[in-house]
Amino acid sequence: MSFRAGGALILDRVSVAFEPGKLNVILGPNGAGKSTLLKLATGLARPTAGEVRYDGQSIAELAAEPLARRRAVLSQHVELAFALPVADVVLMGRYPHYGRVPTERDLEIVNRALAIVGMEDKREQPYPTLSGGEQQKVHLARVLAQIWSDGDARDGAGAQRYLFLDEPTSGLDVHYQLHILAVVRGLRSPGCTVVAVLHDLNMAFEYGDHFVLLERGTVAVNTDDPRAIPAEALERVFRVRARHLQVADGAGGLWRFEL
Amino acid sequence: MGDEDSRRPRVVQRSNTFVHLALAVVLLIALVASACLGAFTFTPARIASYVAQSAGWIPLREADTLGRNVFFQLRLPRVLLAALTGAVLGVSGTLMQGLFRNPIVEPGLAGTSAGAALGASLIFVLGGSTGALAFSAPLGAFAVPVLAFAGAFAATILVYRISSSFGKVNVFTLLLAGIAVNAVCGAGTGFLSYVARDPQARNITFWSLGTFTTADWRGVTLVGVCFAACFGIALGYAKPLNALMLGEDEAAYLGSDPRRLIARLLVVNTVMVAAATAMVGVIAFVGLVVPHVLRMMRSSSYAFLLPASALLGAAMMVVVDIAAREVIPPAELPIGIITAVIGAPVFLWILLREQRSGGSGYYG
Repeated sequence: MSFRAGGALILDRVSVAFEPGKLNVILGPNGAGKSTLLKLATGLARPTAGEVRYDGQSIAELAAEPLARRRAVLSQHVELAFALPVADVVLMGRYPHYGRVPTERDLEIVNRALAIVGMEDKREQPYPTLSGGEQQKVHLARVLAQIWSDGDARDGAGAQRYLFLDEPTSGLDVHYQLHILAVVRGLRSPGCTVVAVLHDLNMAFEYGDHFVLLERGTVAVNTDDPRAIPAEALERVFRVRARHLQVADGAGGLWRFEL
Repeated sequence: MGDEDSRRPRVVQRSNTFVHLALAVVLLIALVASACLGAFTFTPARIASYVAQSAGWIPLREADTLGRNVFFQLRLPRVLLAALTGAVLGVSGTLMQGLFRNPIVEPGLAGTSAGAALGASLIFVLGGSTGALAFSAPLGAFAVPVLAFAGAFAATILVYRISSSFGKVNVFTLLLAGIAVNAVCGAGTGFLSYVARDPQARNITFWSLGTFTTADWRGVTLVGVCFAACFGIALGYAKPLNALMLGEDEAAYLGSDPRRLIARLLVVNTVMVAAATAMVGVIAFVGLVVPHVLRMMRSSSYAFLLPASALLGAAMMVVVDIAAREVIPPAELPIGIITAVIGAPVFLWILLREQRSGGSGYYG
């Protein structure tokens, strides 16, 4: 698919298939079109040419609420100036699922989502009093609640779910970064496709299962194996010098970047 | 899944209902007090007797004719119009703060009320069969509220367009745009009041500070119908209003259509504010104070805020109206003087807190 904005071609005939059960990572320098690709894939914007399909169905055919029951988006930074208790923020994830009043099941899902991110003891606390890392955990719980699936027929079991994360760890300390990526990694299942835009290449290679490297609106590399990404590609795309360092304990290695 | 988890929703539900009931009781007490107090003082027993006489439960008493007329033609419409206006302004403040995603917005600040006053005063001066707005004559009694709506809508849309870009509202632009639109509308209304022949339109105090002295059943009906319709519609949007607190993109991800939501609710908000302003003039700060108190008291969830702001707004306005009658009898204070005395310090306090917290988290 392609996307134009104000005459400029932001994405040029990009064709990617994100794989179920994997943590798909979109990499690329600033301005490569990562955010645009995410906007198109989530249905927030329509491609100028081409289409986005979930499970073979074009998302242009889906109404906003049915779409929201199947796909959730964790943004980089969500501003909320009003005092809502944490549990109320997480409950928003259930909005596309219930009418006027949440069911017992919706509230149960809120509790379980809060437990997964380790925030169950802060459920009544006003959201603005939390630290940045805790706030991001609350939003992670919110998107988990939104596409919750435990095989219950009530959430249309069997339908593929899509979770998109736009730099979910930016601005967080290393503990929260690891925690959030660990939770996200734990979501991989045949019924759930996870797509994340990540900036930290080492973290991306450690946690990701599939990698799409974008370069000026086109796909430069599309692979499952981080070792298949040549240093030259990283150097060209990110305009740095890259060296791969072996780590003593043999757990893969690390990239070191220099200008 | 322990007992604790399954008990929680009912607890929350019950305490929301409890606050709503408590506010309803406060409103009821204020209504009775306001009905009793004034230039004519009625005891509750006397009011009950008037009601019984008019309903035909007991025979009409000749000696009560004057009292009955004063109560039913002057006092009761006034009390009800005050309550309805307060409910409109409270709900409007709550709605506009959600739509602008900012807790300092209210109809007085964002130009809605001033635009309505300008529209309404246009009819008083240029309406009728010979004026420049003679085309409005077929609208009859509805010309005033219709023009008030047009003025209020134009002013609100202008402020919203200027202050928001890319789904975000800039608070400084919002304040400045509000000041400018209020100044222009105020100047227009002031000019019209000087050239007007109609005694009500000539009363600049009426338009700029608000009063319930001109209350009648026509006004009660108009504001009542507009409020009931608009409030009913707004209640249906509690969920998307909550989602909108996270921003337009997040609201869209959660399955609502933020653009359509904002457009619809701006219309709904403008209809009820225009109706109230056309009847009682511009009353500032109620729409600011009421949601603020409620957010601090409990939560910013719209399922709680919308009914609560109607009840608290109504109660507050009824009490303010009592004060307006009782502070310097037999003269009356304009309503806006009292609401400004209460509201302006609250407004400054919110701004100070906002400044200290560095722009995030108004109610922490």
